[in-house]
Amino acid sequence: MEDKYSKMPFIVCPVCSGTGEKKLGLKCPACGGMGVGSFLDGKFLYWGLSLGKAVINLRHFKKSVDLVINSIAYAISLAGLAALAFWVWSSSAGGPVGAGAGDYLELFSFWRVKHWLILVFWISALSDMFIIYRLSQEEARKEKIKKFRAVGEKGLVKLPDNWEELKKFSGKIDVSRAASPEEMKVVEEAFLLAAKSGHNELLPLHLFFSLLRDKEIISLFVRLDVDGGKLITRIKSQLLKESASSEGKNDLKISEEVKEILIEAYAQAYNLGQKKVKALNLILSCLRHDKNLAEILYDLEVDEDKIKNIIEWFRVNERLLDNYRGYKKAARFKPAGTMDRAYTAVATPVLNHFSHDLTRAAKWGRLGICVGRDKEIEDIFGAFTSGRTGVILVGPLGAGKRTMAEGLAQLMVEEDVPKFLRDKRLLELDVARLVSGATAAVAQERLLVIIDEIRKAGNIVLFIENIENIVGITGGGEESLELSEVLAEALNRRALFCLTAATVENYSKYIEGKALGDILVKVKIDEPAGNQAIIMAESKVSLMEGKYGVYFSYDAIGQAVSLSSRYIHDKYLPAKAIEILEATAVRVGRRAASDPTASLCTAEDVSVTVSEITGVPVNKITVSESKELLNLEEKIHEKMINQEEAVSVVSASLRRARAALREGKRPIANFLFLGPTGVGKTELAKTVSDIYFGSKDYMIRLDMSEYQLADSVKKMIGDVDGTRGYLTEAVRKKPFSLVLLDEFEKAHPDILNLFLSCFDDGRITDGQGRTIDFTNSIIIATSNAGSVFIQDEVAAGTDIEKIKEDLINKQLNKIMRPELINRFDGIVVFKPLTMDNVVSITKLMLNGIGEMLLAKGIGLRSEEEGVVKLAGAGYDPKFGARPLRRLLQDKIENEIANKILTGELVRRDTVVINKEAKIEIEKGRQL
Amino acid sequence: MISNNIGLYGGKIVLDLLRDIIYFPAWWYGRGLKQVAIGLKNFLVNKERSLALFVWIKNIFRPMYAQYDWAGILISFFVRLFQIIVRGIFMLFWLALALLILGLWLVLPILAIYEIIFQLAL
Repeated sequence: MEDKYSKMPFIVCPVCSGTGEKKLGLKCPACGGMGVGSFLDGKFLYWGLSLGKAVINLRHFKKSVDLVINSIAYAISLAGLAALAFWVWSSSAGGPVGAGAGDYLELFSFWRVKHWLILVFWISALSDMFIIYRLSQEEARKEKIKKFRAVGEKGLVKLPDNWEELKKFSGKIDVSRAASPEEMKVVEEAFLLAAKSGHNELLPLHLFFSLLRDKEIISLFVRLDVDGGKLITRIKSQLLKESASSEGKNDLKISEEVKEILIEAYAQAYNLGQKKVKALNLILSCLRHDKNLAEILYDLEVDEDKIKNIIEWFRVNERLLDNYRGYKKAARFKPAGTMDRAYTAVATPVLNHFSHDLTRAAKWGRLGICVGRDKEIEDIFGAFTSGRTGVILVGPLGAGKRTMAEGLAQLMVEEDVPKFLRDKRLLELDVARLVSGATAAVAQERLLVIIDEIRKAGNIVLFIENIENIVGITGGGEESLELSEVLAEALNRRALFCLTAATVENYSKYIEGKALGDILVKVKIDEPAGNQAIIMAESKVSLMEGKYGVYFSYDAIGQAVSLSSRYIHDKYLPAKAIEILEATAVRVGRRAASDPTASLCTAEDVSVTVSEITGVPVNKITVSESKELLNLEEKIHEKMINQEEAVSVVSASLRRARAALREGKRPIANFLFLGPTGVGKTELAKTVSDIYFGSKDYMIRLDMSEYQLADSVKKMIGDVDGTRGYLTEAVRKKPFSLVLLDEFEKAHPDILNLFLSCFDDGRITDGQGRTIDFTNSIIIATSNAGSVFIQDEVAAGTDIEKIKEDLINKQLNKIMRPELINRFDGIVVFKPLTMDNVVSITKLMLNGIGEMLLAKGIGLRSEEEGVVKLAGAGYDPKFGARPLRRLLQDKIENEIANKILTGELVRRDTVVINKEAKIEIEKGRQL
Repeated sequence: MISNNIGLYGGKIVLDLLRDIIYFPAWWYGRGLKQVAIGLKNFLVNKERSLALFVWIKNIFRPMYAQYDWAGILISFFVRLFQIIVRGIFMLFWLALALLILGLWLVLPILAIYEIIFQLAL
């Protein structure tokens, strides 16, 4: 795809520096007026049309003259027909009443009659012919870009390398002749704009500005979700910066850059197989030749890649439309019934009962389109033509196996298939119908009859989706064949052609290595990635747009693909992206019903859908949110006292994760929190979960002291017999979560090993063999190990870095393996709390109580001395701030509760914590 | 630079029109004829495809509905023969129509000019 849009090397005339003009508008003698050009497949491309107001006016004038001439010709032809009709009427009316049939027959020999009306008719016949001629000439003008053979194919030819030779070179192409009316209009308008602004040269900027009025370009920017007004204002201000010419206005030339743009547009159209150069082809080159333009668009979040992808999208749509037209034509010839065209087939009543006719559905246009799977389709054909009778499509759920079968049905309708598939029907066997309500023996009988019918009819290809469903159905005792073996046997005898499909797991579980697996050729249907998935989604989008009355921006599709591949792991592309797009379309469609201007599905809308499905805040980082992340430390400190180092390590790591500056295959972050009890380790984890995931509910908490035995691994990750693991199940359901592993060091060493791979690859395989994804989790392990050491060292005033180092080297390595320690993104040492910290914490907790009271209309005020007193009573150097909560419960909350129950404390009252840390009540005003 | 002159525009346009009128008969019997011939050929090919005449002719000795017994083969042969005759008649009709159109295309200019002269001759 890249080279279709590639840049070209240009040859510029040194005399006129590319403009092709000398003074007074004469052609530059050195280059013959070409100015600049480039080679494409051995042809020399140049822009030969010199523009001028006069030339533009002439073209417009000619257009109107053409219209007049055509109208006159049409009028003459109509007059001729009318004259003939009038003559017939008048001569038959003038004839004898009740004239015989012979008299009417005479009217047919009108050419032998001399009459002025007939003369008019014959003159009009000439003008009819002239109209046919003009219409066909117009049609011929529409196809301008001819494919030429590359030089290499003709053998080496020496291409001219100087202007003298180039002037005589026969392989020149004037790209202006291939311009579509739209492109011409853009160029002319750009020229008039430059002339009006009094500029010296026609610049890319002028071209781009007039491009913005083109219909296709407008829809391009709609797809890009670009604010049109903003864009126009910025281009305008750029235009104003161009200095107006001081010389006469007649001196306006086409600049070298614009000529290069026009030539590149031709090359692009040529490479894309277009018949004309459209305005759309100009835009990419415009950006390349004017860096300012590229910058302006970049500011509006538009870059070259996006534009390329949209051009591709338009092309896909166009191709779909073209295909559809051709398809409709071809489909007329496909028989709709069960017979082939030669009537050699046999009626297949049993098969018809147990199957759906895919070719017939395709003929009536009821199937979806299949794009981007040309290689796999070729593989299927290849397998069949090499003499195999069965093919199995193996790929994950939602990768498009069924769509491929449907695509094959459409190709069969067009008869665009190898010979052995022509004039055949593709029937889908309904396995559910085949086996339901029947014993295995009956089902087998049915299958045998069906195979027999197919063999006799000879015009049927069978498609079986989920082929594994017929495996294991056996009719009699142990030795009797099962259903799948019956089919395998028939395929072996070449009784039928069969296309089947299975998911990867089912293939390896039920098919591979069995009789059926040996006979079926495996064609892998891989999950499409990136651009391929985008193109597949694009092909479905136009249908949704029609259905829900919405419009998708390009970013929405890209976002659906990238977000679904990042956040949804139990489904596959393109199905999961299409699902998201559909859900978005439904929601936006509902919104658009009340407000028609809001019918554009943007990337944001898609993010909201993904967020709803996965429960994760994946909205694009908005300004307020990024501010929140930038001020993460402050936010955390609103809920946490002290531990500056811990908070800043965690914050930095989360910022990295949110800006997607992390390796994809690891958890968002792994931390080890070390420190004595009650200093805020769990509190920090809770706060992080609250801020990063939006709620404290996103925390999965495991007390590792419960996992001290060797068989606790089963408890954690589940068992083969179906027991679900506590950790794996929780993360599977909520991939976006903070996993808090309390007292990490107490777990059994086997469990610690489990986390070794989890920290590194971001996944754990659970007892049932499923891969559980941890790449969207934050894992925080806490430990009290070495807390006495920390307390002592902090008391001794040792530097915290030094404490950490000693802790890791002397204490931690006794309980954890060094490779595990190494895998934490950060080991954070929590300092013991000082008295000041505890006072702040007390205030924080009292604020919490105050908020609860406020909900009841009761105020809370506390004296500083009282708070200090409370803090002193609640602080225990051994347990940190933990006893404080109990103290506040006993002394404050219980008291207040009693007072509310006795009616002492009512609305509008204020609770005051006095200097003695006792409760007083200030009565509120009476109403 | 070309001057802003209505006479010049007019001249150019009249020239173009003259070129059109002179080129038109050549086109009619050259490129135009070729286009019509190709169009009619496609038309006939499509008609043949939808009638499947050649498919029927090719399979005349193959029994219909895979009835490979003698009676089946015999009946099939006659049914196919009948089908071929009916379809052949249709095809002949389309062929005649196509030839008629082609003939008209060839004759029309001459006829028209002849008729105009005939009408004008007193």
